[in-house]
Amino acid sequence: MNRRIIADMGGRKMGKKRCPLASSGITSIDYKDIDLLSKFITERGKILPRRITGVSCQSQRLLTVAIKRARHMALLPFVSNE
Amino acid sequence: MVRRRNKHTYEGMYIIRATLSDEARQKAMEKITSLITSLEGEVHKVIDWGRKKLKYEIKGAREGHYFIVYFSAYSDTVREMWNEYNLHEDLVRFFTLQIEENAVPESNEFTFKPLVEV
Repeated sequence: MNRRIIADMGGRKMGKKRCPLASSGITSIDYKDIDLLSKFITERGKILPRRITGVSCQSQRLLTVAIKRARHMALLPFVSNE
Repeated sequence: MVRRRNKHTYEGMYIIRATLSDEARQKAMEKITSLITSLEGEVHKVIDWGRKKLKYEIKGAREGHYFIVYFSAYSDTVREMWNEYNLHEDLVRFFTLQIEENAVPESNEFTFKPLVEV
């Protein structure tokens, strides 16, 4: 039995985490796709860890590079105070 | 021995100062594309991505006009291009990325949303 599914965490049933990119059919991560990249950064502009987003390890590495490229081209902020 | 030279396909992104007039902007872009062709390169596609607010200030500019250029060139000439781009006054920021040959998009539209005009 899958312990993760039956484990009762504070009254909340834990489902198995799936990679949000794979399940929505996204295969390529491009630094120009700001709408996608901005889902994986905080309001301050920091890159979200994958333990929060549930992104697969490979995708997280691609995301990190893409976000840094987008930052260089001022498409995403390094630090945001908004 | 003759040094082996490899030709690769590249994607270059350029931010031109938004304060320029349309004519001056075209001239600035021409300077970039003519530099590629003068270094034995070949320009495949130029995409005007529009004007956009920069997420942070670069060289006093808060807005920029984005261009994406797909070109092929010899790998040793790319560094020369960078040296020239650094002297280009109206070029706020540039970025060159080596891509696969078949990765050049056929249409000018991206599958994701283009930048919103400001």
